[in-house]
Amino acid sequence: MKKLLAGAAMALMAVTGTASADGHANYPERPIMMMVSYGAGGATDFQARIVTMTAGNEDALGMPIAILNKPGAGGRVGWNWLATQAEADGYTLGAYNIPHFIAQSIKGGVEYSAESFEPIANWGADPAVFVVGKDSEFNSMNDVVEFAKANPGKLTFSGAGLFVGHHIAALQLEKASGAKLAYIPNNKGGAGAMKAVIAGEVMGGVNNLSDAFRAREAGNVKILGVFDLERNDFLPDVPTLKEQGYEIDNASVNFRGVMVPKGTPQGIIDKLAATVPTMFENGRVAGKMKAGGSPMHIMTRDEVLEMWAAREETLKELLAGL
Amino acid sequence: MSTSTASRLEHIIASGLIAAVGVWVAYTSYTQAPAEAFVFPRLVSTVFVVLALWTFGKACLGWSKVGAGLSGSMFLRMLPGLVIALIYIFWAAKGLGFYTATTIAFFILLSLYDPASHGTIRTWIKRLLITACFMVVMYGLFAKLLKVYTPREIFF
Amino acid sequence: MEFLAYMGDVFIPFNFLLLLIGTIGGLILGATPGLSPTMAVALLIPFTFQLEAAQGLILLGAAYTSTVAGGAVSAILLKIPGAPANIATTLDGHTMAKKGEGAKALQLSFLSSAVGGIFGVLLLIFLTPVLAKWALAFGPSHLFWLAILGVTVIGTLDSSSVVKGLLSGCIGLWLSTIGFDDIMGAQRFIFHPALGGGINIIAALIGLFAIPQVISMFAKGRVDSGAEVIEVKKHPIGSAFRALASHPRALGIGTAVGSVIGLIPGVGGQIAGLVAYDQSKKFSPERDKFGTGHSEGVIAAESANNAMVGPSLVPLLTLSIPGSPTAAVLLGGLLIHGIFPGSDLFDNHPDVAWTFINSMLIGQVLMCLFGLYVAGLAARVAQVPQSVMAAIVLALAVFGSYSVQSSMGDVYVMAALGTGMYFLERFGFSAAPLVLGLILGPIAEANFIQGSMIATATDGLAPYFLTGVLNLTLIVIVIASIFYSVWMELRARRYTNKEEMMT
Repeated sequence: MKKLLAGAAMALMAVTGTASADGHANYPERPIMMMVSYGAGGATDFQARIVTMTAGNEDALGMPIAILNKPGAGGRVGWNWLATQAEADGYTLGAYNIPHFIAQSIKGGVEYSAESFEPIANWGADPAVFVVGKDSEFNSMNDVVEFAKANPGKLTFSGAGLFVGHHIAALQLEKASGAKLAYIPNNKGGAGAMKAVIAGEVMGGVNNLSDAFRAREAGNVKILGVFDLERNDFLPDVPTLKEQGYEIDNASVNFRGVMVPKGTPQGIIDKLAATVPTMFENGRVAGKMKAGGSPMHIMTRDEVLEMWAAREETLKELLAGL
Repeated sequence: MSTSTASRLEHIIASGLIAAVGVWVAYTSYTQAPAEAFVFPRLVSTVFVVLALWTFGKACLGWSKVGAGLSGSMFLRMLPGLVIALIYIFWAAKGLGFYTATTIAFFILLSLYDPASHGTIRTWIKRLLITACFMVVMYGLFAKLLKVYTPREIFF
Repeated sequence: MEFLAYMGDVFIPFNFLLLLIGTIGGLILGATPGLSPTMAVALLIPFTFQLEAAQGLILLGAAYTSTVAGGAVSAILLKIPGAPANIATTLDGHTMAKKGEGAKALQLSFLSSAVGGIFGVLLLIFLTPVLAKWALAFGPSHLFWLAILGVTVIGTLDSSSVVKGLLSGCIGLWLSTIGFDDIMGAQRFIFHPALGGGINIIAALIGLFAIPQVISMFAKGRVDSGAEVIEVKKHPIGSAFRALASHPRALGIGTAVGSVIGLIPGVGGQIAGLVAYDQSKKFSPERDKFGTGHSEGVIAAESANNAMVGPSLVPLLTLSIPGSPTAAVLLGGLLIHGIFPGSDLFDNHPDVAWTFINSMLIGQVLMCLFGLYVAGLAARVAQVPQSVMAAIVLALAVFGSYSVQSSMGDVYVMAALGTGMYFLERFGFSAAPLVLGLILGPIAEANFIQGSMIATATDGLAPYFLTGVLNLTLIVIVIASIFYSVWMELRARRYTNKEEMMT
């Protein structure tokens, strides 16, 4: 009953337009919605559900966060919606994937750019890795590149789509090795791309570290290299591309975090930016993320702003010729 | 099939409209860029246009047999319901809020098409009760059980 | 026989309670328009946070099987298919309900769901290693031919004119291309912002099936229901068993098609019901009765869509690849407990794996018992007066299509498609082939593009798409299916021409 009364009071306030002028001290007053631009069950969705599960706690936001999936076209559908149709009232959050949405906005044909959103905090960083089937003759990146150099354009390898992290990694590999490769984007995301590798439809693939780690545990693939600056805790035995002699940085690492549409009141942004990172640090969240094989990487709003700007610059350079 | 069949003119109009859509689809598919994203739409729209023109031709020659068509009296009977349904969906649901709009639309539609007398109090109370019961079930199912976030209501 | 060793775990009181909750809750969620099995399972995931891994999986497994069956309830009673899997069920099921045979239709659908479902889970238990290879055998070229096979079904499916059936299918294929294209990310035919995300299949299903029915109820006007009251025939459960036993062909075809097609990642669940329906129609001596409330139609469709549940989990459980959206959600449910599907699951957590599989087995039985129990009662929905029914279905359609992804755009699309479909139906077009086109479009397109990319990088288009045993087999089936349709059409035309001459 109490909840019902509180709900009625809230709705009344919303109708009369008393959006509190006192710096949004009472925010949030009702449950919050977070848009994920990938389908239920995908890596982003799975992680978003875990990191927001403690939002209802009193030391976090005090209100639950509900996940809303708007999948389609590599995330474009969801981010278009967030940039143009979502209400910027602080009750609609969105999950971001870097470099995906920045790369897509540079490529064009979408209604958003890095300026359309305000970051809140980052929760995870999932590097791309290069995988091959368990029976593949390739045992290192050098084997792969040698084959590609001997057979230009014949090395088929899968990834989650065009202008997403995997595609960026593929472009970097092509540029750093100087070999011509055949990148095959999959319409079913990382899971579809992984299936293509395991079934032998393609000779290799770029995939998420978390999914590749799981596939290796199941004995289906070999992981040849990590597209990051240093080796990953989940895969200490897998060398980075850089160690194998390819000048590739962390531009393709899939950073996941929370953002709000531009125009959200500054008071709310500040409040979220202060609480959300601590919410991610919760022990239960960390435990579940680790169990699921998802690397965490918590960053505050200022760090994320910096990272966005840096990414935009490298991506513009990388995608300039396309 | 049913007893009435559509007239030749009706078939011509219906298949003509579909053919027009088909031509528009084909035109758009062949003119939009980038071409590689429109390979499949081109293929589909070509078959679409051929089949639509075939149907249109058959209709013009009076060979179309299938379909019951629409009669004027049917159209008049459905019109009020259709208009209310469309207002409800395209404006009221978002403008007034889902539960408010549904309550109103449900009650109006029920009253419009209920064969029971419109003159006695008893039947009006019955209709109100049905509406109330239905809305309680809908609210319980969608708002409470499934936690669907509907657009804000204007009255509460 | 390892699964028998863990059978006891399902019957621990708390576990059994979860199983009951999952089954009954799943039936209710499945019967709610707009709530596909994927969404229903996703909704239950937060509850499993608090449970142990095996218990959480019992809840999810039971819910998965019973939501698939629950979708038949709204398909039969309201003509709103809860998910693509239930489209074929509406064709005969709803006609039966309108004739007052709703109880029979529901009983048959639950019984054949249980038979198909149990068979599917048994396949999962005994043949997993074989099935895993089979699931991986389907590459882009094979999936493309499979989609084309689906397209050939379009012309003969629930349509009185082959040309209009094909045209309906083409409209569906075109509608499926609206929105961002999945691979290139180019915008196609977005002439209204509501179409930005493309046409959501669930919203389209609701619109295409439910709205024409609402409008035709309006079109009947203020009829006195006195003349229209449907007598809901009581149907003893015993005779439902007999009815099922007297149609072994439909049951066999449904179960076989469902388990084979259900296994193919990404395609299976959505078209299994329709393909099974079409096949049993082609093989049935009473094929003219299909679409007029014929038991075989319900049996084939429902046994197929539940038979696919077990095999559809094979790629997930053995290879850790989710083969369907629902499997992807279940994967999340496992990962949260730190369990990786694949060899890890069966070697290190056999209790979780087998309890999960057992719960689906027992869940089928519970689902069937519960369904049979309420069938007679639920069938009374057919007695609800038209005026009330029209308003209820309309409201459910609006709420259902909105709840898919909390989007007004989906509601607009639902209403626009539905209103258009009503007028199309008056001129001999039908919704089933249109929906099939809508489902098959993306499968055909994406696999053709991926296949041609791989082919041009390797050995060329023709060898990639036209060689190999599986490709050739599929092509032969496609050609056979086309010839069969043409032959049936010609034969039917000869008959009708004779009739016309006589009149």
